[in-house]
Amino acid sequence: MKFYIDNLPIIFPYDRIYPEQYAYMCDLKRTLDATGHCVLEMPSGTGKTVSLLSLIVSYQQYFPTKRKLIYCSRTVPEIEKALTELKRLMEYRIECAETEEEKEKERNFTGLGLTSRKNLCINPEVAKEKKGKVVDARCRDLTNSAACEKGRANPGLVPLCDWHENLGKMEPGHLMPPGIWTLADVLQYGREKTICPYFAVRRMMPFVDVIIYSFHYLLDPKVAEQVSKEMSKDAIVVFDEAHNIDNVCIESLSIDLTRPMLDAAGRSVTKLSEKIEEIKTTDVAKLQDEYAKLVEGLQENISDENDTDAFMGNPVLPNDLLNEAIPGNIRKAEHFVAFLKRFVEYIKTRMRVLHVVAETPLSFLQHLKDITYIERRPLRFCAERLQSLIRTLELSRLDEYSSLQKVASFATLVATYEKGFLLILEPFETDNATVPNPVFHFTCLDPSLAIKPVFERFSSVVITSGTISPLDMYPKMLQFTPVVQETYAMTLTRNAFLPLVITRGSDQVAISSRFEVRNDPAVVRNFGSILIEYSKIVPDGIVAFFPSYLYMESIVAAWNDMGILNEVWKHKLIFVETPDANETSIALENYRRACDNGRGAVLLSVARGKVSEGIDFDHNYGRAVIMFGVPYQYTESRILKARLEYLRDAYRIRESEFLGFDAMRNAAQCVGRVLRGKTDWGLMIFADKRFARADKRAKLPRWINQYITETAANLSTDMAITLSKLFMRTISQNPNENQTGVSLWTLEDIEKAQAKQREVALHAEKEPQPDADEYGDGGFSDSALMDFDLDV
Amino acid sequence: MPTTVCTAKASCKKLPGLLELTDTHLQWTQDGKKVPSIRVPYADAASLFCSKEGAPQVKLKLSLVGDSTGHNFTFISDKPVALVDCEKFKQELTTIISRNKSVPLPLSRTPAPPINASTLPISVSSTPSASTPRPAQTPSRTSVSRAPSVSGDRRSTPVITGNDPASDFRLRKKVLMSNPELGALHKELVMTGQITEAEFWDGREHLILAQAASEGQKKGKPGQLVDPRPEAVEGGEIKIRITPQLVHDIFDEYPIVAKAYSENVPNKLSEEHFWKRYFQSKLFNAHRASIRSSAAQHVVKDDPIFDKYLERDDDELEPRRPRNEQVEAFVDLAATLEDHDDTGNEKDVTMRAGRQKAALPLIRKFNEHSERLLNSALGEIPPAKRRRLDPGEDAYSQIDIDDLHDPEASAGIVLEMQDRQRYFEGRMSNVKQDSSEPRLDPSVLLEETRSGLANWESRLSQLKIERKPGDSALLAMTQNVANRLDVKSKKSEIPDGLFRQMTSCQTAANEFLRQFWLATYPPAGDIPTVALATPAQRAAKAAKMISYISKTPEKVHALVQVAQQHGIDPNRVETAMKPVLQACERALTFHKNKKPTKP
Repeated sequence: MKFYIDNLPIIFPYDRIYPEQYAYMCDLKRTLDATGHCVLEMPSGTGKTVSLLSLIVSYQQYFPTKRKLIYCSRTVPEIEKALTELKRLMEYRIECAETEEEKEKERNFTGLGLTSRKNLCINPEVAKEKKGKVVDARCRDLTNSAACEKGRANPGLVPLCDWHENLGKMEPGHLMPPGIWTLADVLQYGREKTICPYFAVRRMMPFVDVIIYSFHYLLDPKVAEQVSKEMSKDAIVVFDEAHNIDNVCIESLSIDLTRPMLDAAGRSVTKLSEKIEEIKTTDVAKLQDEYAKLVEGLQENISDENDTDAFMGNPVLPNDLLNEAIPGNIRKAEHFVAFLKRFVEYIKTRMRVLHVVAETPLSFLQHLKDITYIERRPLRFCAERLQSLIRTLELSRLDEYSSLQKVASFATLVATYEKGFLLILEPFETDNATVPNPVFHFTCLDPSLAIKPVFERFSSVVITSGTISPLDMYPKMLQFTPVVQETYAMTLTRNAFLPLVITRGSDQVAISSRFEVRNDPAVVRNFGSILIEYSKIVPDGIVAFFPSYLYMESIVAAWNDMGILNEVWKHKLIFVETPDANETSIALENYRRACDNGRGAVLLSVARGKVSEGIDFDHNYGRAVIMFGVPYQYTESRILKARLEYLRDAYRIRESEFLGFDAMRNAAQCVGRVLRGKTDWGLMIFADKRFARADKRAKLPRWINQYITETAANLSTDMAITLSKLFMRTISQNPNENQTGVSLWTLEDIEKAQAKQREVALHAEKEPQPDADEYGDGGFSDSALMDFDLDV
Repeated sequence: MPTTVCTAKASCKKLPGLLELTDTHLQWTQDGKKVPSIRVPYADAASLFCSKEGAPQVKLKLSLVGDSTGHNFTFISDKPVALVDCEKFKQELTTIISRNKSVPLPLSRTPAPPINASTLPISVSSTPSASTPRPAQTPSRTSVSRAPSVSGDRRSTPVITGNDPASDFRLRKKVLMSNPELGALHKELVMTGQITEAEFWDGREHLILAQAASEGQKKGKPGQLVDPRPEAVEGGEIKIRITPQLVHDIFDEYPIVAKAYSENVPNKLSEEHFWKRYFQSKLFNAHRASIRSSAAQHVVKDDPIFDKYLERDDDELEPRRPRNEQVEAFVDLAATLEDHDDTGNEKDVTMRAGRQKAALPLIRKFNEHSERLLNSALGEIPPAKRRRLDPGEDAYSQIDIDDLHDPEASAGIVLEMQDRQRYFEGRMSNVKQDSSEPRLDPSVLLEETRSGLANWESRLSQLKIERKPGDSALLAMTQNVANRLDVKSKKSEIPDGLFRQMTSCQTAANEFLRQFWLATYPPAGDIPTVALATPAQRAAKAAKMISYISKTPEKVHALVQVAQQHGIDPNRVETAMKPVLQACERALTFHKNKKPTKP
């Protein structure tokens, strides 16, 4: 359908539209017009992505400025879904375009998705590697400019990648025909034309209208520097599924060092010095050349010119980069290697301590200086200097140097930032462990740091998700001022989902995943009986989420020994999330087969785990989601404690408030995946007595919370089962009542709403009038009479 | 109420009451209550346990299909009486249960495992007990008892009953046995010769079809893990009972045991020895679906033969057997993991997957077991091929929101018709004619309406709603409610025997009526039945039925008299039978009126 918001023509690829989609698009347009930022919460399953793309593409195609869209999502399946959505939208737009000229304009609209080499490589030799790091390293060996130069001059001397070579022969900007390419399409095209999909996408990025990739490509300075540098300022940035964006921000500036990593770094340092000795005998000029350049402060950024050479971005945010020459004491290669060696040894010594240490970067630097005389300034250049050295030495198989790169990044970060960071040394993994396994955490506490450059650089940043309540938390944590901040209720003609809070088992024992009681046999048994009862009555798929891997693994074992799973086996197959991602994917695929087949299955998985992000359990893939316990973070974690303290001091966010908010957003995220569309239905079961508390429930998104009735907020298992049965019996009826006009709008409904809005606007100018045409006489309504039950 | 086969005083859950076995149900009524609190239909009875002779209490336990806990009854009469009672119930229930068991046989029990069935079962204990193993329906028996026409291909093609008299008969028998009420009707009408077998089944073909379909349905494997749980026997010894089914399941679940079996039996070990040692080996403990087994490890002896087959525990973060198949893009979790370099601090202790090492083999076993079950039902096709074969699952359908499509927007089917041109021409001329009709003048219409609406206010004020109809409506409703309440509060006091007679009279009359109308108005359906009969045959049948039907009023009259003898208000019986009588009346008058037209 085609309609107008203000004067902007919108093409929406369906015949109907949900009212909330319309409202969402209006607010989005307001944000774009105001060139500001916004936070929008839209109920899961009501077509957020399609509304977003539909509006922005209409906007891009209507205005001559052609603002680029940078669309970020959390996971690769979500990226692929967004690309598919975009592809379908463009097909629809081409179909709708009236003149041939317009059709051509739509056909030339190009959108691409970017992911790692590991996911896009089709060179069979390289692609067979299991680790992404190894793929990256081997790819670089085959594609870096030095190797290419040699290989092209002397065919056969150095192995090169045919796919990449073919790409080089093509005209830049026309590596791929215009259109929308999903990741699968790009791979297919690469195979057909024997060109490298990864570099094709990378090099096409300046020419496309839409680029879709993950948060990290914009937020992680190491990657952003290489990938997202050339994005123009007027681009529209969208963070979809942004409910965990603060964690991504924090992650992109945090780093961990372990004992094995330091050992590997030490070995790499030795290798480097051997290599330098070797070069000294064969090609001294090279080293001297590098030194001369460094003296002149000419460390040009090669990644500007050639995307194949960049291998390690600077871990520091662009504003904090120093534009000055590398200090004298690390300019000479052998001096720098000795410097690194000293630093690695220092950290190794620090790790021998057997008690927990928490210190600020400043105190760390002071101690470092006292012991080793390493100054802060050269340390800041550590990452950059290592990059230069590795390039000069023309090293291959860089994955072997990854630990050293990490140490260098650590050095640079620790020397750059003072505020909002903390160093924590944990000698033991757990409190009762006896064998030390020390980890040195450099942790970022302030999520606003990493996202600041994004807000500064781009005029419109959209932060959106299905579960982003409470809305004011995000501007507070990420330090920005949104122009629009909105949450939408879900309009339903019939309740498509039933949220239930189970607080106790049928035996009236309260259930909770609170640490003190979670392993209590009564609680474990009651959790189990919830699963048994639901596996008896719910058709097709049931997904159950646990608050942590540790708890899931122990409860699965306990349930098996208690014979609970034996009962479940009678009704459904059981699949469980495992540590291995690929193994879990296969289990997930089989789970979906079992749901399609009608056998039915239960999937046990973990909130915040691999499955909880990016996988949808709509329709028969999830008729019930059970949340066993409140997915609180592990509060004994020192990193979390430090973060809570920082949030309290810097932003006045109370610890309990943040923990509750964090737990509820993850619970809502798990549970919200059951719906797609309003004819779909599902049960949402919150099994923990703490969910009954008003302060917890208030943190759920409004669209879920509004449907939790007072009776459904405090149930025992048997009561919940009765309610669920009743719900399923009614919802399985044919939805013959007409949703149109209420929860489903046609074009006329939109126009009606717009007319009404104009009227209201006009009205507001005039004097307010009393409601004249009100027929209230206080009698019985028709429905009240109909509900009267004669059957005594 | 139906006839009672036998009754006895028995307590359930320590409450005294009366246990009854009627011809359809087993029911138990607590003393002082009218309605039985437990009512088990025959079809639900799964197995029966009785107390041993000489036990202090005479007890009976009946477990149900899908509910093994079932019901416990204790006979509370004096010992000798109780024993006799118990015996009676036992006999009756045993036949019912055996009948139940023989009905839904799993069709495809895979052929027996490669062992001589006569050597089985062996109880792996030093005290070979006398208890005979469950003679679970062995595969051979199932296949013999099944007529060839029912199996396999029968599922796909719609069954036309009557092709094969033998199987047809068998199916009918099963239908009757599983449905006692229908069986009773059959007994009463067909066995007494009132109507023929064919007539009886005429119009009931769907029951036979359903029976054939349910037999033809391939039953999948049960979901549970193979986990032979040892039973404890006095003297601290454990016993595991082996059935051919168990052996087969073990081989299926753990190919390594099948391998060990083929390599060692009968050369190195005897059959019996093999199992005995297997259940004591580390291998068995590794296979047991329990993490407690690791605690039992030290109890288990080393076994030079079986220890060879031990595999490393599958408890690493990566699975022991890496799977390299490509997964669908929308569920590819590994792609996300490889999407960017790992950043940030490591996860806290609780969020690191795979820290509970002991649980990992178990979790993997669940996934594998589920996959195996799925493959056994759906066939083992590599995922890539599966995706090609399944065109419905394209990427668009997975993101589509179907209710946003306009259901009426479909293109529709073009109506093909002859002489389309002429049709439209004809319509055109019609339209022209219409247009020649006098046109309505809007101003006149407006004037008329206006005059009609004049004085509406005064007329409205004159409008009075009569009080009477409202009151009477309310009264009628109240009366209705009161009547219903009255009926509900009254208890049925008709004695069992009479009630049964009434029911049987009513069902028989219904059957005759059904036959009559069927003969009069043969169904237009495509089911090849008596509908094929010639009109003369049908007329004859109708006449026969009418003769039966005409006797119904007499029967009812007899019933009324019996009621009088019992001292029950005959009006009640009459009221109850009134609908039947009316229906008969209608059939009779219909028949009478129809007669003269037909010579």
